[in-house]
Amino acid sequence: MRDDPTVVALVNRAARGDPAGWNEIVERYAPLVWAICTRFQLSNHDREDVGQNVWLLLVEQLGKLREPAALPGWLATTTHRECLRVVTAARKSERQGTRLDDAPQFADNTMIDEEILMAERNAALRTALAELPPRCQRLLAMLISDPPCSYAEISATLQIPVGSIGPQRARCLERLRKSSALAGLGDPDVRWAKGEKHG
Amino acid sequence: MADGWDDEELLAALGEAVKARQAVPEWFVETGKNAYAWHNIDAELAQLTYDSDSDADRGVAAAVRSEAASIRALTFTSARLSIELEVASDSLVGQIIPAQAGTLEVHTTGGVTSSPMDEIGCFAVTPIPASPFRLRCRTEDGTDVLTGWITL
Repeated sequence: MRDDPTVVALVNRAARGDPAGWNEIVERYAPLVWAICTRFQLSNHDREDVGQNVWLLLVEQLGKLREPAALPGWLATTTHRECLRVVTAARKSERQGTRLDDAPQFADNTMIDEEILMAERNAALRTALAELPPRCQRLLAMLISDPPCSYAEISATLQIPVGSIGPQRARCLERLRKSSALAGLGDPDVRWAKGEKHG
Repeated sequence: MADGWDDEELLAALGEAVKARQAVPEWFVETGKNAYAWHNIDAELAQLTYDSDSDADRGVAAAVRSEAASIRALTFTSARLSIELEVASDSLVGQIIPAQAGTLEVHTTGGVTSSPMDEIGCFAVTPIPASPFRLRCRTEDGTDVLTGWITL
């Protein structure tokens, strides 16, 4: 896993008392915490419980994290543990007698590793997108919208000729690709779901 | 790494990244941001040292779960005092040891309420606060002890 200087800087800022640093950490990694809650199929109430505990625990660990770069891993492991706690408590109260061993999908380390890698990749991509010029951000947002926008819609909304959408798309993606936020993203050995054939 | 992606792959990855963020409701993000209010609280932390509900503390004999009427007991310990806590059906009852008067604060993510502890350090909290919560005990000799987050 890469040693992301952004993460280290954010952790250090938050540990020194800068709330903006903390907020950025939360913005960056709330999707990771949320995704793990989704895998456990938690209700919104339980998600709130898990989320609160994870972030409260992190606040207390801020100055003590031996390797701030390992923050995503710490968050994933802690969220996983909190989800297990909630699920176990629910089962106890239902008294179904179901054992967690019956649910191997809850205890798969490979899955956690993938979630961490995906979270780092997604965070880097979102940061890179936010650093692009506004016109590129608008164009790319329309291109990735779900359902996808047609070139006619894009042309009408952004007031650019249909014929120049393709070239602008290519230029914006090239800027994104060269963004410092994506530099050194991931280990070359890591086989990304989408980038596998280039590995 | 991104150098290896063609335009379609990069766009697809970007779409996934944005979608992952959009899936997260704002209240969930706010919950995380609000947790920072707890940074650098100047009190001694009391650790959970006993929980009647934990498998390790309950012992092998209790492998068959006792009935719901049983009262859960928790102990938090710090260098200067410990907090004994019992969870009844609708309230928390507790005592600090060594016994002494002081003020008890119940901290939830929504705010703080405080109440006096009597001269032998006893207190009651009704109703049971919303989880997670933590207790802070301040006594007249300046002792200031805070438990970790408690989820019942």
